[in-house]
Amino acid sequence: MLSASSHGRTPAAIRLVAAVVLLGLVLAFPALAPDPFILSVGVVIASYAALAVAWNFVGGLTGYISLGHAAYSGLGGYGTALLITEAGVNPWVSMVVAALLVGAAAVPIGIASLRVRGASFVIVSIALVLILLLVAQSWAGVTGGSNGLRVPRPFGTDVLRPEQHERFFYLFVALTLVALVLWWLIDRSRLGTGLKAIREDEDKAQALGVPTFAYKLVVFVVSAFFTAMAGGMYALWFGSLDPIFQFSILTGSYLVLMSLLGGVRSLLGPVVGAVIVGYAVEFFKNQYGDTQLHLVALGLLLALVVLFMPDGVIPWLTSQLDRFRPGGTSIREVDAAQLAEERKALEEAKR
Amino acid sequence: MTFLETNGLTKAFGGVRAVDEATVSFQEGRINALIGPNGSGKTTFFNCVTGMIRPDSGTVTYRGRDVTGHAPHRIARAGLGRSFQLCRVFPRMTVLDNVLAGVRSTGLAHRLRGAHNPDDIARARELLARVGIEHLERSEARDISYGQQKLLELAGVLMAEPDTIMLDEPAGGVNPALIGRIATLVRELNAEGRTFVIVEHNMELVMSLSDHVVVFDRGRPIASGAPADVQNDPRVLEAYLGV
Amino acid sequence: MSLSLLLQSLILGLLLGGLYALLAAGLTLYFGVMRVVMIAHSAFLILAAYLAWFFTKQTGLDPLLSLFITVPLFFAAGYVMQRALLSRLRPATLTMMSVLLTFAIALVIEGGLGYLFSGTQRRIQLGYSGASLELWGARIAVVKLIAFGLAAISLLALFLLLKKTRFGQALRATIQHREAAQLLGIDTDRIAGFGFGLGLATAAVGGTALALDATIYPSLHWHWIGPLMAIIVIGGLGSIPGAAIAAMILGVTQALLQIPMGTTWAQTVFYVALFATLMFRPQGFFGGRLAQRF
Repeated sequence: MLSASSHGRTPAAIRLVAAVVLLGLVLAFPALAPDPFILSVGVVIASYAALAVAWNFVGGLTGYISLGHAAYSGLGGYGTALLITEAGVNPWVSMVVAALLVGAAAVPIGIASLRVRGASFVIVSIALVLILLLVAQSWAGVTGGSNGLRVPRPFGTDVLRPEQHERFFYLFVALTLVALVLWWLIDRSRLGTGLKAIREDEDKAQALGVPTFAYKLVVFVVSAFFTAMAGGMYALWFGSLDPIFQFSILTGSYLVLMSLLGGVRSLLGPVVGAVIVGYAVEFFKNQYGDTQLHLVALGLLLALVVLFMPDGVIPWLTSQLDRFRPGGTSIREVDAAQLAEERKALEEAKR
Repeated sequence: MTFLETNGLTKAFGGVRAVDEATVSFQEGRINALIGPNGSGKTTFFNCVTGMIRPDSGTVTYRGRDVTGHAPHRIARAGLGRSFQLCRVFPRMTVLDNVLAGVRSTGLAHRLRGAHNPDDIARARELLARVGIEHLERSEARDISYGQQKLLELAGVLMAEPDTIMLDEPAGGVNPALIGRIATLVRELNAEGRTFVIVEHNMELVMSLSDHVVVFDRGRPIASGAPADVQNDPRVLEAYLGV
Repeated sequence: MSLSLLLQSLILGLLLGGLYALLAAGLTLYFGVMRVVMIAHSAFLILAAYLAWFFTKQTGLDPLLSLFITVPLFFAAGYVMQRALLSRLRPATLTMMSVLLTFAIALVIEGGLGYLFSGTQRRIQLGYSGASLELWGARIAVVKLIAFGLAAISLLALFLLLKKTRFGQALRATIQHREAAQLLGIDTDRIAGFGFGLGLATAAVGGTALALDATIYPSLHWHWIGPLMAIIVIGGLGSIPGAAIAAMILGVTQALLQIPMGTTWAQTVFYVALFATLMFRPQGFFGGRLAQRF
């Protein structure tokens, strides 16, 4: 596991080798996949990975949890589709332009939701998806409403389905890699230190001179941009858009679950989470079809993660293992507020 | 030019005026102390000055500039560093990263450079050595003792290169040996030209450390002057003892 | 004709605003006692509506009688939820994690309802379902009046409970300053649990009122949570009168906008207002000192 902020627990050489092997396996996946269906599942998981890494620019670096990232992927998808069909722009150019537009739109949204702390950010993130769903469904003239919107394929008709899947798989992997590299660069930069300071204690960060609002806004916009890129790419692959699925709170909560499960503090956490949750979601859909049980399963899993492993499954597993290790010390589960509490008691006692 | 002063500063919570038309001026290059009974509005006053709370009315002037209602990071940039009551560090960052969070950044290129560059690290280590916790640089801040966290907080504040340092109860909750160490540090830093404004309950410390004392009661200053004068001021005795 | 239409919309807006106000008061209570944005509030609303529907379907009795079951049940559920689940979260990350936890609860409720009762739309048929009053040319359904009455009585009861009783005093003290309340000898943990129970009880009442005249389906709660959250932000997080005023104003605005814009577009008024509030007055418009810090 590449842990973002720990320097040198595992030698760099080993980590590099592990990363190369991992990447090799990922790139070999289309060749190893036994049939086109499995391959298409791979594409879906790769798209989730791109989305989750994009989400983690905000979630991981600042600790602000957005439940409404589907708003940006959906806008990216519709933007791409409309630029192709209405303006006749090249599909790939459309995808990038749409993502840039979404990034620009994220500026006022960020200004409104990041100015005050926490609660209003979450409220806006949810409200945004709900409002876009309303608009996309009502504005049928443009979005096709509930009938959906067809997206022209970027590759010619001579490219068969499995070939399409393979190409898009590599495209999603490439997008994920670009996002990962940028996340890593930010994480280790001074900007990243400031952001993590915000995640830990926003007042304190401000008092040290960190321009918290501007920092949050920067990663918020970056996050919206990458989410929209992934959404646009998905639109090109899937070939049709339906508001219900594009502007879905569920999609947003998948991203949260993936990142939390994998660990928001680590570079590859969201990718690990995307593989686990993405596979589980596809499996569930396949096994139980349309019943509402997948909602129950998702809800229970999310609750378990939030209650028992808010740092992710890998830190949780290591701490569980530590318990059984002889002489291992239990991980201290304290944080700023608890420390403050203890201190208050201490002071009270002194008086 | 005025150094740091407030004029008619007021902040009410609900019906209670925590700070009530406080007009205070602090002296440059000195160790200023702000004392007063519990609930007299010292911390709220502190928070208004450093921008953590927006005052209802009145002004804060720092080096001739009106900084009233500025965002806290702008006030910090202007050279006014602060610590928090009960001490706040970033619990899940390493001790070294805690200090590095105080690096002053200017411009985009500077911000995108690696956080762990040799110059910054050297300076951070120097500050950690200065407060005496350099051996802990790899520990997470939540794993070190409270006293060590207090020292760490001070190192972080220093990293931001403030001219003026406001400390909210630096001696609160720490053992006498550490209080002595903090006092020595404050004196040294002051001798190097840094101004201090200290909120403190420990009278012994205040009287031995400070050059200028401002006494707060019910949200406003009731007396100020040299420690010895203030100590014998009847108004101060009244506020403290309620006689 | 247009005048009576206007009047009708105005009255319908006020009636709907009453229900919004009651539910927003519940949300405000959770936020007040624990700084929690309770996403599952509207899911519990729909759950209560389903329980009312199921009760009537099984027993043939009036759905209003289901209140005697759902209100105590929801109160207890709220208490347990706060004590057993939310209080386990770490204080430092409480705001974010509580949103996720209550979101998870909402998903479980929605999924559970869908599994048990299927996604089919349901509606209670009552003897007085079709009855309406005529008032200067405006036709107002009796069930809407009953729903409003229910909401108004509950809101009044809640208000009196908070203002006049010792428990209410303790609850308000806890909301305003938890530590200070503890110093006064108030068991703030228990009070927070009761605050949650009360909040959930408003969802029980609201759900029954909703079931009287609306078609219900499991995913309906998403249509409620957005407007409700907008209301509490605009009202200034943490202020019950603020939330009530915002609820009435927005309810009426929505109803009036329905005339020229249609139902769907009229819904967007909540989000536009929410967005504008955060842009220009993030502390909300009606009291609510808490918002500045959250």
